[in-house]
Amino acid sequence: MLEVRDLHVKFNNRDREAVGGISFRIGAGEILGLVGESGSGKTVTAMSIAGLLPRKQCSYSGDILLDGQDLLHADRSLLRKLHGREIGVVFQEPMSAMNPLMRIGEQVGEVLRIHTDLSKAERKEKVLRAMTSVELHDPEHLYDCYPHELSGGMLQRVMIAAAIVIEPSLLLLDEPTTALDVTIQAQILELLKKLNSELGISMLFISHNLNVVRKLCARVAVMQRGLLVETGETDQVFYHPQHPYTRQLIDAIPTRERRVR
Amino acid sequence: MSTALQYTLKRLGLLLVTMLLVSFLTFLAFELVSGDPARTMLGTEATPQQLTALRHELGLDRPFLLRYLSWLAGFFSGNLGTSYSYRQPVWGLIAGKLELTLWLSLMSFVLIAVISIPLGIFSYRFTGGFANWPRTALNQLCMAVPPFFTGILFSWCFGIVLRVFTPGDFPGLREDFAASLRHLFFGAICLSIPRIAMTVRMLRSTVISEMNKAYVRTAISRGNDRRTVLTRHVLKNSMVSVVTFLGQTLAELVGAGIVVEQVLGIPGLGRFLVTSISHRDYPVVQTIVVILGFWVVLAGTAADLVNQAIDPRLRLSTAELGGAGS
Repeated sequence: MLEVRDLHVKFNNRDREAVGGISFRIGAGEILGLVGESGSGKTVTAMSIAGLLPRKQCSYSGDILLDGQDLLHADRSLLRKLHGREIGVVFQEPMSAMNPLMRIGEQVGEVLRIHTDLSKAERKEKVLRAMTSVELHDPEHLYDCYPHELSGGMLQRVMIAAAIVIEPSLLLLDEPTTALDVTIQAQILELLKKLNSELGISMLFISHNLNVVRKLCARVAVMQRGLLVETGETDQVFYHPQHPYTRQLIDAIPTRERRVR
Repeated sequence: MSTALQYTLKRLGLLLVTMLLVSFLTFLAFELVSGDPARTMLGTEATPQQLTALRHELGLDRPFLLRYLSWLAGFFSGNLGTSYSYRQPVWGLIAGKLELTLWLSLMSFVLIAVISIPLGIFSYRFTGGFANWPRTALNQLCMAVPPFFTGILFSWCFGIVLRVFTPGDFPGLREDFAASLRHLFFGAICLSIPRIAMTVRMLRSTVISEMNKAYVRTAISRGNDRRTVLTRHVLKNSMVSVVTFLGQTLAELVGAGIVVEQVLGIPGLGRFLVTSISHRDYPVVQTIVVILGFWVVLAGTAADLVNQAIDPRLRLSTAELGGAGS
């Protein structure tokens, strides 16, 4: 469903390539975890797939195919049709990723306004249904709220609702739980798992936290300095890491013994 | 409901404090500078007896604080006093002039708001390339031109050469409304040119900085095109600082009008203020100063209310009334 082949991205003001030739695939209904430290090129990879690269400020090559359609070299008008409709994105900081002056309901329904001919009432109905499916309580009330009236965890649910309201084929999650505290993080992971099995949306889940990825993803790709150093089944990678960098990442996870010591 | 009440009370309190402060400071300023209204009124030939008598009649021989308090008492009971130089009630002298100044200020303000907002957006949309430097140069030029200069230029060009209006001969709103407005319109243009340039520049830079915010990326990721990103998301977010700026502009306009009133011969408040100050006509000056203070607070309140309508987060902060602003 999504295939990335030999993706290179280099920003004009940097010497080193942000992404130095990576290839991977995401099957239909699959969740792929993309792990790596900050600056390893995870987000740039996601932005390339989402068509959000600042094209004038970088050079890029390779192929990104979504159901056979090239995203990397697609023109603006095609990208606009795919944005939101086929590819949904959930960003790291829900508070800054939302328009502070637009009501929650309108932001969740924006994709519908852009990509469908539904009436206002039909849109509202779909929005409320999406808000219910991300387990937000009292969506009728939240519909008319502004972002500053909600907590970070609720906002991230809203962002997820906004991304899935139209049921895109691919959901890109760029560190969606990093800004949230641990209990909320676990709830969001559960929610994503549920949405994946109910709606069959493929997901690319980006995180610097291997432990979080392990809870959600069947397959994981490990990135370091713009390159994929290891790809495989999550358990395989976790218990039998092949690359020294992966081993370092695993060692960085705090465990019970270490905390006690 | 109670927040609205609290807000109103807060604003009224601010208004009261501002006006008290401003009137007291004016009183104090006149106490400190030299000059004697009695002498100005009677001329240099007056005998000391005459001067003392007049001072007593005007109440100028009383102590400073007592004079201020009695003025204050008069003000709140609706008696603005009598002009020293004209021997007429202050309000009757001021009302007509205030009307002209308000017309001038409001016309300039409408010009500024109506022209600069679309122009600011236009100026944002056509950014970069070789269009950049002429735009910046024009903007700088408009900002740098002082209203009195444009006033003189307009007097010559539209007044003397084209005879659209007669500089120095203001028809009067009651006598010839259309001609008066035409006359005021040129004053309003002089006043608004530099402020339009400032507002355009400010709106443009605000839009540019808003465009780099994270919510814009979200908007793009949902399939918004450049135009809808601007109209549906960025513009509203940019308006708060523009409205604040326009509020300050509205407050300044009345004061800034003084020079333009002089140059174009508009018998407004500003001109009257200047002559009253030189005649040491305290009651008139006091009243005008309090009106100006009132105007400044009013403009600030208006900007505040508009901003609250735009940004719900500002509504929240009025609910936390009295709390330290964060």
